[in-house]
Amino acid sequence: MNIESTISATYNWCQFTPAFALVGLAALLLMADTFLPKVPKRLYAFIGAAGAFLAAYFMAKAPHFNTFGFLACFSTGLCLLLAFDYKAISCASIGGEGNEEGTGEFYALPLVACAGILCLTQAKDLIMLFVSLEVITLTSYVLTGYFRRNQGSIEAGIKYLVLGALSTGLLVFGAAWYFGMSGSFSLDTDVIASALRGGVAGTATVAVGFLMAVALLFAGAFFKVGAAPMHVWIPDVYQGAPTPTTAWLAVASKTAGFAMLCALVVPFVPLAIPGTNLGNIFICTFSLVAAATLLIGNLGALRQNNAKRLLGYSSIGQAGFIMVFFLNLNGALEFLVSQYLLAYTLATVGAFYAIAMVRTQRGSEEIAAFRGLGKSNPRTAFLITVCMASLAGVPLTMGFLVKMYSFIALVGAVQYTSCLYWLLGIMIICAAAGFYYYFKMIRAMYWDKAQPEDKPLCVPVSTGIVLSLCTLALIILGTLPLLVSFQ
Amino acid sequence: MIQNLPWLFLLLPLVVAAIDWVCFSKRPCVAATLSLLSAAATFALCVAYLLGLETGTPGTYTWMPASVEQLNLHLGLVMDPLAMRMMLVVTGIGLLVHLFSLGYMKGDSSNLSRYFAGLSIFMFSMTCIVMASNLVMTFIGWEMVGFSSYLLIGHWFHKDSAADAAKKAFITNRVGDFGFLIGILLTLGIFGTMNFAEMGGKAAGIAPAMLTVTIICLFCGAVGKSAQFPLHVWLPDAMEGPTPVSALIHAATMVAAGVYMLVRLQVSMGTAAFTDTACMVIATVGAITAVLAAIIATQQDDIKRVLAYSTLSQLGYMVMAVGLLAGEAAMFHLYTHAWFKALLFLGAGAIIICCHHEQDIWKMGGLAKRMPLTVLCFLMGTFALIAIPGFSGFFSKEAILDAALAKCPVFFWVGAGVAALTTFYMVRLCIVAFLGRARDHWAEHAKEAGATMLLPLLVLAVMAIISGYGFIADWLVPFEGFHAHGFSVGLPFYVSMGALVIGLFLAVAIYGFGKRGNDPLAGNFISRALRNRLYIDTLYDKVLIGGIQEMFSHVVEFIDAACIRGLLAQGLAWITTRIGILLSWIQNGSLRSYTVAAGLGVVILVYILAFQL
Repeated sequence: MNIESTISATYNWCQFTPAFALVGLAALLLMADTFLPKVPKRLYAFIGAAGAFLAAYFMAKAPHFNTFGFLACFSTGLCLLLAFDYKAISCASIGGEGNEEGTGEFYALPLVACAGILCLTQAKDLIMLFVSLEVITLTSYVLTGYFRRNQGSIEAGIKYLVLGALSTGLLVFGAAWYFGMSGSFSLDTDVIASALRGGVAGTATVAVGFLMAVALLFAGAFFKVGAAPMHVWIPDVYQGAPTPTTAWLAVASKTAGFAMLCALVVPFVPLAIPGTNLGNIFICTFSLVAAATLLIGNLGALRQNNAKRLLGYSSIGQAGFIMVFFLNLNGALEFLVSQYLLAYTLATVGAFYAIAMVRTQRGSEEIAAFRGLGKSNPRTAFLITVCMASLAGVPLTMGFLVKMYSFIALVGAVQYTSCLYWLLGIMIICAAAGFYYYFKMIRAMYWDKAQPEDKPLCVPVSTGIVLSLCTLALIILGTLPLLVSFQ
Repeated sequence: MIQNLPWLFLLLPLVVAAIDWVCFSKRPCVAATLSLLSAAATFALCVAYLLGLETGTPGTYTWMPASVEQLNLHLGLVMDPLAMRMMLVVTGIGLLVHLFSLGYMKGDSSNLSRYFAGLSIFMFSMTCIVMASNLVMTFIGWEMVGFSSYLLIGHWFHKDSAADAAKKAFITNRVGDFGFLIGILLTLGIFGTMNFAEMGGKAAGIAPAMLTVTIICLFCGAVGKSAQFPLHVWLPDAMEGPTPVSALIHAATMVAAGVYMLVRLQVSMGTAAFTDTACMVIATVGAITAVLAAIIATQQDDIKRVLAYSTLSQLGYMVMAVGLLAGEAAMFHLYTHAWFKALLFLGAGAIIICCHHEQDIWKMGGLAKRMPLTVLCFLMGTFALIAIPGFSGFFSKEAILDAALAKCPVFFWVGAGVAALTTFYMVRLCIVAFLGRARDHWAEHAKEAGATMLLPLLVLAVMAIISGYGFIADWLVPFEGFHAHGFSVGLPFYVSMGALVIGLFLAVAIYGFGKRGNDPLAGNFISRALRNRLYIDTLYDKVLIGGIQEMFSHVVEFIDAACIRGLLAQGLAWITTRIGILLSWIQNGSLRSYTVAAGLGVVILVYILAFQL
């Protein structure tokens, strides 16, 4: 079979236009970085963000709304804007502090990665899936270890590289088995159905091998998503990476992971009907993964004092709530997952803007560094409070609504398999734990006394705007039913 | 015709309140202008709908999905005459009160942005009650008006009395709301829906006892919000708030919400749902409130408290009418009462401002000469309240008395007695405050109020006179197909004329002559009892709060400390924290252990997914 004809039969070049445009913009920025040394590098972040938002706008206007692609562009734009404000990036310069030489690619690489996510969301076969995933992963390695002089950043980069290599290895291994058992790379329901029937020969071994391949592919997706057991990289990498990169990993990279998981799972929807053998296996797998992810993320977060590490655990914990949607496989899956991701993205980006602001002005990423903000910056403190409340799931924020969808999805699954009530208990405990650790930050802002040397934070314009808009969106989407209506 | 335009009724005040609070907390002028504009815009929109210039309909949305279709919470608006004409009363009086507040709050040192944000959030909440298409929205509005009322009563929170009054109003309302919530859940249980539109005709198949319990539980909400006996204690104290607030919230609109809600239920469930027992309870509570409040009002010295007790008494009339299944008469009286009581309160507000926050009527006197226009307007309101023929209050009170005579003559005689008392205390108030010589320094130098205060008074005075006549009432009374029934001279007319004359005669005989330094009726034990509100508040303080609640709180404290805090909360917290420590210990930073953990996990994953076929 000719690979070229397969590709042209499956894909249409037009659907990659936004991705090409983003890569083109990244290339332009890199060229400018080399040939126009006088231009301030932060400008690139602004241009990149504008490009990403433009891409998001056109995705939203497109006839077939690509939700994950839109989310990826939107969150990449927000993270680039964060980088625009994050002066510490010049620490990475080869010319020493205060010099910007060689920092241009920090602003161009997220665009390439974003293009990778856009391709990933379109993937209908494993080759496209793998190649676009590698585009994302390779750029993330660079972005994570970007602070060459910072030990934490280097360590994070190495850990991410090694564990990422493990996941890629598993993914490729799984893809090989997939091809071996089904004779195709295509993620098509017919291909899957025939492989599950035992292929041409009809032997049960083929089905088992095929499912093993699927398990390995899932493991690759779990790595990006941060679901157990592939979550191990998250706390260390989130803590060590430069804050804009952490934000990007937390929102855009996670979106990519869920886009990939959906691409893998959606073809199974007609086959894994609840009550059938395959349906039960899927429910069993995803319930165990969701439970482990929920427990590790939410209970692990209880003892954290570093804000970035806390948000790392939070990212695992929220992924656990999203995994619950996969228990109830139906047409609404992608919609629900993207709704949850939207709520998570808005609140998490807000939190990272706040952390970046505190980090640059108070020199610490500890939760304690937020002390006294309620007095000195009451409005900013209120905005951060709303973001945290949304992550915890306080009513009248979007975080509450999506968490409720997650509970409803579980109740829907319980209809078929009544032995899932234990997961409901775990979800309740984990949601309660969320209130404890997210409110740590709120407690620090309102209850802890400011130290004498603390000055009121000076809120950068872009941080103020983004935080306000995120908060506004969280409240509006959480209170009004006009945008989030249940299908 | 614009689809979904009616949502502006809700969104506009809410957004304005948020903007006032967040952006303009330091710039009261902008905040006041925004609030005023939002009130004017909603009023204009309301007029446009009533005239049929605008016909856009609101969509219904699922707000909170649930796993069972029936339990989904919906957001929807009803646009029937009952709701829209009630909206006209709410937005109309709201607009006038906003305008009046500009003059009244001028020179006040408190944060005016907070005040106007509070007014706007009240307009939002009240709209939510009036236009709610289901009981859940009603309940949300119900709680929100409670909240905004708390904010506004406690506007001068540095005064202890205001802070206490705000707390009292909120907590007393909670008692009623508890019953209301149970009632809503019972309604969902027995009617299978919370949407007003789907309740009709379902009452027939339900056991009467069940219906009685449900209706009485729902009525509990009205008892709290409309300050009926025995939860009436919060309303007189609520007079600690700024006077325009008293006019808008504690006279014209919010306290009438209980009556509105009952009528809304009566219309949507059908009168069959209101069993005889339930009706009897409702009418009796209304009658008791009417009598009790009217008696207490005769011995109050504070101009606002006289009006507050008068409001209680009139609300008692309305509730009684609901209990007599005369929803039409109740809404008629609600509507006329809203105009003339708002007028009385705003008039009192103008007087209070001109006397430099002196509220004791015995320290006024001679105001008729110094602020004739204000006093004239106030008199128009008084005439409407004591039901002099030709004024609006006369028509609506006749309607209630007619209904009472037809259904249950006992309530008719109670109503007539209350009418005599009403005349007595209002005439007493007018004579003491307006006639004779000024008995206080401030009253001597009182001057006519400013234009922003006079204009609302004049508009309301006109409404107090004309709003009862058929040609305007048929248009505006919040009731589907309302028709002012022809007035005939009969027993009710003679009795109420008799009541009017008795009240007038007694008041003039006792207060009309002499120096009016103090109340000639004061000093005996009846007067003392009335001045102490018949010791009901004291009883609540001593027995309910001091005795039962204290004892109960010790028991709850013990259960809380031993079981909930000790075992459940700290036990669970201890276990989860241990697990958390364990988990973060696994996450120790060693790359090798990470890889091992991930590898083992993948093996388990493969086993579960692949080897269970």
